[in-house]
Amino acid sequence: MRPAFVSARRARAQLGTFVEITAGGATPPAVHAAIDAAFDGVADVHRLMSFHDPGSDLSRLNRDAPTRPVTVHPWTHAVLRAALELHDASGGIFDVTVAPVLQGLGRLPGQAEARVPHPHLDAGPGIEVLAARRVRFRHPGVAVDLGGIAKGFAVDRALDILRERGMTRGLVNAGGDLAAFGRPGECISIRDPRQRGASLGCVRVEDTALASSGGGEAVVVDPRRGEPAGGVLGATVTARSCLLADALTKVVMVAGEGAGPLLARYGAAALFLSVHGAVHVTRGWSAVVCRAS
Amino acid sequence: MEHWVRWAAPSAIMISIAVPSHATQYLTLEQAQQLAFPDASRFVEAHVMFQPSDVAAIERRSGEKVRTRGQQVWRALAGDRPVGFFIVDYVIGKHLVIDYVVALEPDGRVRRVEILEYRESYGGEITNHSWLEQFVGKGSRDPLMVDRDIRNISGATLSSHHVTEGIRRVLAFYETCLR
Repeated sequence: MRPAFVSARRARAQLGTFVEITAGGATPPAVHAAIDAAFDGVADVHRLMSFHDPGSDLSRLNRDAPTRPVTVHPWTHAVLRAALELHDASGGIFDVTVAPVLQGLGRLPGQAEARVPHPHLDAGPGIEVLAARRVRFRHPGVAVDLGGIAKGFAVDRALDILRERGMTRGLVNAGGDLAAFGRPGECISIRDPRQRGASLGCVRVEDTALASSGGGEAVVVDPRRGEPAGGVLGATVTARSCLLADALTKVVMVAGEGAGPLLARYGAAALFLSVHGAVHVTRGWSAVVCRAS
Repeated sequence: MEHWVRWAAPSAIMISIAVPSHATQYLTLEQAQQLAFPDASRFVEAHVMFQPSDVAAIERRSGEKVRTRGQQVWRALAGDRPVGFFIVDYVIGKHLVIDYVVALEPDGRVRRVEILEYRESYGGEITNHSWLEQFVGKGSRDPLMVDRDIRNISGATLSSHHVTEGIRRVLAFYETCLR
């Protein structure tokens, strides 16, 4: 007799939020083993990239990289390389070295060495990613926070693990940063940042990633000014990876309509709500949006 | 800019579309028990009703307020050998009530924490039945946890620090009443 194939959905408190993992296409023990492994992958990313954990790769970097190159895990290396590429592509708007600004705002623990102005506004990226997984900071005042990108990366890794384990469908949602593969996908509701319980509509997520920013307690800093971005209340981006979607929401929060060329370059689509109450969407977005029922 | 279009639907209409209040169940109690203790052959109820001195001790040890009159506990047994404790707890977040389980090794170390269910709360009040009632009658005939009617939410900023605080309280409960 053919064993029954099932789907399961589980959740854990991880990454400072709730991580929800759905998987399907195998027997119940195989599905649950795959979900366990995916949760472990998220925990690994957290261990490497937490700003708060003094033993993380990131904390080692922030401690030692201003004075000497630090060797990091391949995952940390990959995230930093992606961050640098996005920094370059966005003209400096996406910046993982805004930690001192966030510290100055009380959003991250610790004392910023230089509050404002941002220590390397005119000096290009504050970090150098070298060969052999080594990383060095260019200035003593640099501190990295991967809060704008690591969650998306964790979602991507968890989804990879589900695929490697032979699942035919999967969805990983880390507090609104999510990605999915396989059929059927899911309709994801986009929360209206102005009003609790209200929705701006929903997006069909199938073999794609989606991330949102704004409306919560998190702050997106405009690195050009060294202070929180102000023109956009909330942004949602769909992209081919959750890392990309996660990072691009920050650019849309800061640049609004100015993020259009960058989104096009990465084949991403976006929706944002301006402080004036207008909802802007990229061309092509409407194809995936359905109205909230 | 040519990349963007204004969304046709005026936002005044969009904000009036309410997302249905939702609850998501991930695992039934029995599924969570099996996942936490795959070797266990049975789970023996060992629910605890708090004495006032228990409440005081748990609050002192954890620094967290005790909101309940007791704690749901099962002893996991493989044959007659104890393999751990299975404790059901809930925490109230800003907008959510989160039911979760803490599986402990026989010596009280955390083995696994898993969310059973979350549901919307309003003003910190639980809108469903009281926590002691909510599991009554649940069993293997319950619906599967995957509810295709439930939508995920993007843009939800759910803080999980309440769960961390809850686990601290559960461990203080272990020290006070189970150890």
